[in-house]
Amino acid sequence: MAKKNARSQEEVKSEMDMSPMIDCCFLLLMFFIVNAAQITVSKDPSVNMPNAVSASEMKDANGCIVVNVFADPEVMGAKSAKALEKFNKTYAAYPGTIWGVADGSQNSIGYNSSQAQQLSDFITKQREAMEAKGVKGEQIRLYLRGDADAPWSRSAGAIQAAAAAGVTNIVFGTLPAK
Amino acid sequence: MARRKKIDAPEEEEMTSNISSMIDCCFLLLIYFLVATSLVSEKKLDINIPASTQASTSQKPKVDPGNIYVSSSGVVTWNKDLTVGEAYDSSLQPGTPAYLQQRRMDSLVESLKLLKEQAEAVEASPVVMLHGSGKAPHQRIVDVMAALAEADIHSVGLSTAAED
Repeated sequence: MAKKNARSQEEVKSEMDMSPMIDCCFLLLMFFIVNAAQITVSKDPSVNMPNAVSASEMKDANGCIVVNVFADPEVMGAKSAKALEKFNKTYAAYPGTIWGVADGSQNSIGYNSSQAQQLSDFITKQREAMEAKGVKGEQIRLYLRGDADAPWSRSAGAIQAAAAAGVTNIVFGTLPAK
Repeated sequence: MARRKKIDAPEEEEMTSNISSMIDCCFLLLIYFLVATSLVSEKKLDINIPASTQASTSQKPKVDPGNIYVSSSGVVTWNKDLTVGEAYDSSLQPGTPAYLQQRRMDSLVESLKLLKEQAEAVEASPVVMLHGSGKAPHQRIVDVMAALAEADIHSVGLSTAAED
């Protein structure tokens, strides 16, 4: 009997419970997937990002309303044919797109130069949705992803649309110039 | 004794299932996502736009506002008389010294720092107006914003009057 006891103790020692660790790993994995998807989701690859010599790190994407500002298709095509192809595919239903946004279900919506009011309405809707989620007013920012070759009037138009929607904090998306 | 041992041995072998490869996989994915998120990170330039939204107040600012003009070709001028940035050349490849040279506008940063000092001397915040031509390339505006950030000015008025 005593012998049996000793052996059962030995068995308990030898087996290690891995399941909590795996659980943890999956949890972390899931967290990073979700997190990465949230930041990258509206990053349109058709935008050739401008470079800035002094820019700070993007700490969190919470409260960012992303608006992509596109250059003319000819200019885009001259830089990268792949970018133009992607652009034409994504915004096929929206002719003359200069502003691109992604709605709640990550569908891309394009607005042309005469649809500044619609863009403003979209930003208002996003702002209200964020406020309903508890994001504070000063945290809500317009994340402007302007193409380096896009004319300034387009970016200014997006900023004005945001201002009309009550968003005055602007974040210029850039890449480090190195 | 001999019989017992025989029964025990195969039972123990069945119990162990090898999950180490799965854990390896998990960690690999985890590291991949960690690296992927930090590698492609975009940087930001925070700017507040006070003047474009609020109607200009009749109060006269304590210091003269600084004016930055960006022409349609991308020439940057400080207070209409000092050219601080040459025309934008879109053919330059990012990463080359010439490209970096074009991004830097040291004289503009100096002018902005001076303006900030003057404003702080009378306990006011510096007022900077950006007059961008509608056709000016976005990159040139970002260069100006980077100079503003370098001079520690985070508020800029955007002139809404389009001058093409």
